[in-house]
Amino acid sequence: MSALLEISNLQAAIGDKTILKGLDLTIQAGEVHAIMGPNGSGKSTLSYVLSGKDGYDITGGSMHFDGQDLADLQAEERAIAGLFLAFQYPLEIPGVTNMTFLKTALNAVRRGRGEDDMDAASFLRLAREKSRALGMDDDMLKRQLNVGFSGGEKKRNEILQMAMLEPKLAILDETDSGLDIDALKIVAEGVNAQRSPERGMLVITHYQRLLDFIKPDVVHVMANGRIVRSGGPELALELEKSGYADYRAEGVAHA
Amino acid sequence: MLITVPKGSLMLNALAHFERAKPQLGGDVEARAQALQQAELLGLPTRRVEAWHYTDLPRLLNRSASSSDALTVNDFSALKPHYLVFENGHLSADLAQLSAEFVSPDADLSADAMTLYNQALAENGLTLKLDKSPEAIVIVETKGSEAQHLMHRVRLSAGVKATVVDDHAALGYSNVIWQVELAADAELTLVHMQQSGQYVGHCTVDLATNAQFKQITLLTGGDVARHATDVNLQQSGAKADLHSAILGRAVSHNDVTYTINHQAADTHSHTTSHQALADSARGVFQGKVIVQRDAQRVDAQMQARAMMLSSEAEINAKPELEIYADDVVCAHGTAIGEIDADALFFLRARGIDEASARQLLISGFVEQLLTHCDDSALADVLRHHIEQKISALTLTKLEAEHAV
Ligand SMILES: Nc1ncnc2c1ncn2[C@@H]1O[C@H](COP(=O)(O)OP(=O)(O)OP(=O)(O)O)[C@@H](O)[C@H]1O
Ligand SMILES: [Mg+2]
Repeated sequence: MSALLEISNLQAAIGDKTILKGLDLTIQAGEVHAIMGPNGSGKSTLSYVLSGKDGYDITGGSMHFDGQDLADLQAEERAIAGLFLAFQYPLEIPGVTNMTFLKTALNAVRRGRGEDDMDAASFLRLAREKSRALGMDDDMLKRQLNVGFSGGEKKRNEILQMAMLEPKLAILDETDSGLDIDALKIVAEGVNAQRSPERGMLVITHYQRLLDFIKPDVVHVMANGRIVRSGGPELALELEKSGYADYRAEGVAHA
Repeated sequence: MLITVPKGSLMLNALAHFERAKPQLGGDVEARAQALQQAELLGLPTRRVEAWHYTDLPRLLNRSASSSDALTVNDFSALKPHYLVFENGHLSADLAQLSAEFVSPDADLSADAMTLYNQALAENGLTLKLDKSPEAIVIVETKGSEAQHLMHRVRLSAGVKATVVDDHAALGYSNVIWQVELAADAELTLVHMQQSGQYVGHCTVDLATNAQFKQITLLTGGDVARHATDVNLQQSGAKADLHSAILGRAVSHNDVTYTINHQAADTHSHTTSHQALADSARGVFQGKVIVQRDAQRVDAQMQARAMMLSSEAEINAKPELEIYADDVVCAHGTAIGEIDADALFFLRARGIDEASARQLLISGFVEQLLTHCDDSALADVLRHHIEQKISALTLTKLEAEHAV
């Protein structure tokens, strides 16, 4: 069986600037991988390129998700296929309520997967149940999407979207930043609830602390647009102590 | 229902119209004839008149037919309203026993040309003088395809609260005047929905102590929509909330123009405008805030935003402040942009296809108007209207653009 996500020698640029410089990464179903790495090393860029954001030139390599070549799929088709990105900086959308947004997204994904729309009552029940589990006020469903939400509320809202859409692979881009300690636990529980033998996760973080709650199978270090080292959970502990000094040098050496 | 917007304006033939209509016109026919003579002398306002700088009315009224459009039927039944229907200038139905006895306009030869034409030719209109708050909202529907001149008057006595909706779906040329007088502590919400025809509207509002005027204007189609409002905050504590949204499509010309005159201390005004302009639509926002010398502690806020949906669309935004008092808080801002690419990606990354994502962002933009509508049943009617118009927009233009 093919891997859930298989990236090989991926190269991507914005304009003249090459950001991903030959990145390899394989995630099997059931695994949780963490990516750590210095600011500007290309972690968010990787998450955008995987999710199908416009504006990047894929100049080399390949990305396969669940047996499909991602290059053939639009952003919305990737979401329907089961890819989910929890944004590092979730967008504010004035005039669109969180409820309308969640319902439109859920039904778009269901339709794309050949299922019927969810009826209004079931949707409401599900949205309430999932948002309460994340410690969110019912009121936040009625508010305009992310408008005036605190940093932590926006991150919880990302996890709510994940819980509603039930992706096969969730990429969490610094979902822990901006969360207080209690919120971190609640969000981690929400994420762990999604773990299953069929699903995978890619957790981008700067802090070992998140990985105490979401235990990764593999930890990668990304520097200068590449995965420069991979190991077990102990690698995160090591990085916490020694920082990225070695990898910065290595990154430059490979450039 | 698919209809073709009829063109050709009786304005260009006002004298003939007057002669024909004379037998039905009430009031002082001689005064009307004088008003007409003066109007013809002035002629339709041209771009040389400052308030009409971006709306070249003679040219716009002469444009040849080009658009056909579906009318959206607004269903207010959930509000159990009083209903008046003006069809081709005549009161064709008075479904509630609402007194609407029409009083001919007063002649004022110093008025501008459009008002003079209205004085000469107005044969009907709503006359609403309320001494106590009505239980239901009042809907004034305008339809038909002939030229019409309407003169509406709303006078609320002290402390009276009312809501009036102007549901304008006439297909021809209309010259509509609203005269609003609010006594102390009176509160009026006036909603204008315009979706068709060649519409020139002028609303004048006088507010006494602590009176409140809220105006919600939604222009969604037709050929020409010019909606001007003059607000006179005459006594202290008076407050005006003026909110408008435009969904401009095809070759429609949409103009919202405000003149807000703070004549007394402690008066407030808050103006917002959201214009989404597609195809070759044109939007105009003019907002002039005047604060008189004795009008201290005035708070006047004005915010105009435009979302350009096509490279052929055009916006002219002109906020102006004229301040003669020293202790005031006034601010205005204008923001013109396109659909935000990051927001679009965010929605698409949640499985929403590009066309639907655009539609959602456009409706989110336009529906910010509804945050000012306190009556949720009324807001639902407005929302439904906006959604209908946006879905028509997406089918005609955005897909075509996509195919290129
Ligand atoms: N639109 C863009 N135009 C030019 N450069 C860009 C653009 N987007 C990202 N970059 C650059 O690409 C590099 C990688 O950015 P990216 O956001 O992927 O880093 P990151 O690893 O997520 O960093 P952080 O840990 O701070 O979130 C940075 O040097 C950034 O400045
Ligand atoms: Mg990042």
